[in-house]
Amino acid sequence: MTHAVAIRGLRKVFDGRAGAVEALAAIDMTLAEGEFACILGPSGCGKSTLLNVIAGFEAPTEGSATVFGTPVAAPGPERAVVFQEASLFPWLSVWDNVTFGPRMLGRPKAETDALARRFLDLVGLAGFERHLPDQLSGGMKQRVGIARCLILNPRVYLMDEPFGALDAQTRMQMQELLTHVWDEARGTVLFITHDIDEAIFLADTVYVMTARPGRMRSRIVIDLPRPRSIELLTDPRFNALRADILRQIREEATKATAAIEAEERARR
Amino acid sequence: MIAAVFGRAGLGQLGLGLALPFILVVIWEALGRSGVVPQGILPAPSLVGQAWWDWAFADPGMGLNPYLGTWGETVLFSARRVFTGFACAIAIGVPMGIMIGWNRMVAGAVDPLIQSLRPIPITAWLPFAIAVFGIRDAGAVFLIGLGAFFPIVVNATAGARDVPRNLIRAARMMGANERQLLLRVVLPAALSNVFTGMRLGLGIAWTAVIVAEIVAVKSGLGYVLWDAYYVGRMDVVIADMVSIGIAGFLSDRVLVAVQHRVLHWKQTARA
Repeated sequence: MTHAVAIRGLRKVFDGRAGAVEALAAIDMTLAEGEFACILGPSGCGKSTLLNVIAGFEAPTEGSATVFGTPVAAPGPERAVVFQEASLFPWLSVWDNVTFGPRMLGRPKAETDALARRFLDLVGLAGFERHLPDQLSGGMKQRVGIARCLILNPRVYLMDEPFGALDAQTRMQMQELLTHVWDEARGTVLFITHDIDEAIFLADTVYVMTARPGRMRSRIVIDLPRPRSIELLTDPRFNALRADILRQIREEATKATAAIEAEERARR
Repeated sequence: MIAAVFGRAGLGQLGLGLALPFILVVIWEALGRSGVVPQGILPAPSLVGQAWWDWAFADPGMGLNPYLGTWGETVLFSARRVFTGFACAIAIGVPMGIMIGWNRMVAGAVDPLIQSLRPIPITAWLPFAIAVFGIRDAGAVFLIGLGAFFPIVVNATAGARDVPRNLIRAARMMGANERQLLLRVVLPAALSNVFTGMRLGLGIAWTAVIVAEIVAVKSGLGYVLWDAYYVGRMDVVIADMVSIGIAGFLSDRVLVAVQHRVLHWKQTARA
């Protein structure tokens, strides 16, 4: 069986002004088709770099990323990306933003229109087709960001802290919306976050990364029943998972702080 | 429409803004009538107004005076040159600037040339333009186009260079090819800067047309300006100056109106 996503010996080094920085060191991971995976890690651990490599935005220094057996060479519509800051085209209406991909790909208009209507409805934006991104709230922008990915009918969804910039209330709504959308659309998801509750709530599997240079520290299977709802947040099983992950994250955060302090001392 | 042309200031504010010029004109008129200022050097506003009226509306067959009823065609001569040169500057400057900002190879090949030609003032190009194009419209259009080209190309470059990285990535991820990326993402994202460049360029175009008409061609507001000065018609000179100012102002307002239309999604864009 081919894996939806397979990462082998992935290493990424950035050449900065202050010398080379190793963002990722020897990452190995595989995602099964239909798996919802969340990647958790302290800030600066290279989570986003990992996603950017799979998206084809950045080339690995060593190792490889393959998606359904095909090595990643460039960005493409089979690997849809939801960005942290939505990154909608501000000069296009909601409708034109959502249909942008199919139009670029030359897909038939009738089919595109039907899909756009369906997905805008699914993310709760029916009636906002003519709005401009600047007229929408942060949560609504991110709904557009999700709808324009759904319409591509991708094999893998890559989500880079899509709810990180939203307020707690909106974030919770968006998490529920996403589980609802995923129940309908399915597909393999790689979801980057630093919010432990979010990871447990959404994921089939949670991957905890180490401090920089990022490696996979552990893989935790979240065997909570679906469909999930917000009540799950007070479930004892949820709390047990959270306590375990929190401990791991805290260790990594401590290491990260220690490493930064050591660097500072070395510089002096 | 009025608001589009004169901005968002209310009529009250417009009145306040007109007060100072009005006072200055009254003082100027008084100085002229009292004989303190020689009318051959600084004619009073009423005399300028009379000259302007004749220049605009008098029957050209009334005598040897060349400034009778020719104002309209004079303005048209200059405006046509500005329009042609400015249009050429846009047609060349915008695509070139976008490519320089977008492609490092193009930037490396073209940008040094542009940056080394840019400091040469438009006036320094005059002998070159006359030598190459002669005393004809082409020389004036060349100068205008060249003058307007630089701010347009430089701002288009900046606009294309500053397109948010994630917009490019989003378009690529949605399957846009290079051509679609340039036309559907880079160009619209750079348009705000492009308009800034065009407004600067239009200002330079009006400067260039006056200089070119003084030296290189025998018609238009610049030609009349210098010709009238030579025959001692300071009333026509001043009427001409004000005409140039009005033409420059109105063409800028038209450009801003177009900008608001094109960048309607950008609510912060203000004149």
